[in-house]
Amino acid sequence: MTNRTELPRQTRRHLLATAFCAGATLTLPGKPQAAGRPTDIRLLGFDGDILMAAGATLTISPDGGRSWYERPTPTPVASVATHPARPGRILAGLAQGGVVVSDDGGATWTARSEGLVSGEVTALTVAAGNPDMFYAAIRGDGLWKSEDAGATWALAMDRPWLDEAERDPLTLASVDLETGMGGIWIYAGTEKGLTRVPDCFCRWQDVQPGNAMDALVAGDIPPAEAPLPTDEPVLSLASALTAPSTLYVALPSGVWASQDGGVVWAHKAEGQGKAIAVHPRDENHVAAILDGTLKLSRDGGATWTAIAAA
Amino acid sequence: MRRAAPIGAVFVALSAAGFAVFAQSESDEGFVDGLSFLGEPVTAADIAAGQALYAENCASCHGAELEGQPDWRRRLDTGRMPAPPHDDTGHTWHHSDRNLFIVTKGGVGAGVPGYESDMPAFEGVLTDDEIADVLAYIKSTWPDRQRKVQAEVSANDKGDL
Repeated sequence: MTNRTELPRQTRRHLLATAFCAGATLTLPGKPQAAGRPTDIRLLGFDGDILMAAGATLTISPDGGRSWYERPTPTPVASVATHPARPGRILAGLAQGGVVVSDDGGATWTARSEGLVSGEVTALTVAAGNPDMFYAAIRGDGLWKSEDAGATWALAMDRPWLDEAERDPLTLASVDLETGMGGIWIYAGTEKGLTRVPDCFCRWQDVQPGNAMDALVAGDIPPAEAPLPTDEPVLSLASALTAPSTLYVALPSGVWASQDGGVVWAHKAEGQGKAIAVHPRDENHVAAILDGTLKLSRDGGATWTAIAAA
Repeated sequence: MRRAAPIGAVFVALSAAGFAVFAQSESDEGFVDGLSFLGEPVTAADIAAGQALYAENCASCHGAELEGQPDWRRRLDTGRMPAPPHDDTGHTWHHSDRNLFIVTKGGVGAGVPGYESDMPAFEGVLTDDEIADVLAYIKSTWPDRQRKVQAEVSANDKGDL
């Protein structure tokens, strides 16, 4: 879950944390405060029941948005990721490059960037079936992989090629659907739509029905599809771990959902979609930024309730 | 899908096959233990024939030692991906026998509709049996772990050719 933005000026706290993050951890007290204006929020996520929102700063809410606590990061974040098997662990991809990891819910951060190329970390995700397998998309470079919880990184794959050019993943999700190649998929949202690559990294490819190859071989009519609008960027993407075929995306036209791994999409909410996240234990519990407002849905996007984020 | 190669051709191919072939242990019937393609057993002669065909048809892109093109994870200026390795450092062993056969015969677009690749279709260039031999040779070079993973992927692929 991620999207891009202009870099805000670094605060003194950010500079201090950056220096400290080179080889140690930084402990900062949590204090209740505003999450920041919803219009500033670019990223959403869940760390268990804790809702995370990030803009210029990272804030968390343990009570569904009633109270918020700041969790300063070393520098402004461009992407965040969590995994339910590691409660309290938050990955943050930094706008200025590098990945930092917190194992205490964002109180302290450690740099985990050895071998990772420099550049904005536009998107991050954790492998659905392996909480220590991280993937990071680096602006202008490609998709990188760490098999040891970020201790070391290696290039996995170049960026996807869409509409005659390489495109930066703006958002990533490890989707626990079998590829037929012994692994699962990594989906990416780009300015030119949705794409995916098997975790063996053979090739980026369009999202197609699972039996598309069989239909092609047999000369049959391909299965029905209802793709996302082709003229909109996919700004944020979330996969439901409890129902891997369920995906949500935030587009400029609103929130869209798929129940079949991204082949058929339904428009769930209109408005300027910006960020989206799904609860790790409830595929119908969704958080989104819509028209600058933080909203929650408990029914898979059918109805939404605005919550106070500021 | 297996074919009987002429004795002379087998001798020449076996001579050139090197370690990969002779490292395989064979059953009394001449089948290589633990190696099959599309569910059929593979012989040392199949592998040797496949190695010769690989050198002639595949090595120019995928490398004489199956090492792939340099920097194969980085896209070419054309937007297409370089030829990947076929050894255990690449991703070939993640694909089922059926998928490998379809892609070799029909090109990558046959496996992933609409995908553009420099990989040509070998239909009309190699027979089905020859394609099987090439792929059996490639499989014969993989370490046990990769071979086991790929065997499982193949077993789970219930599609038709």
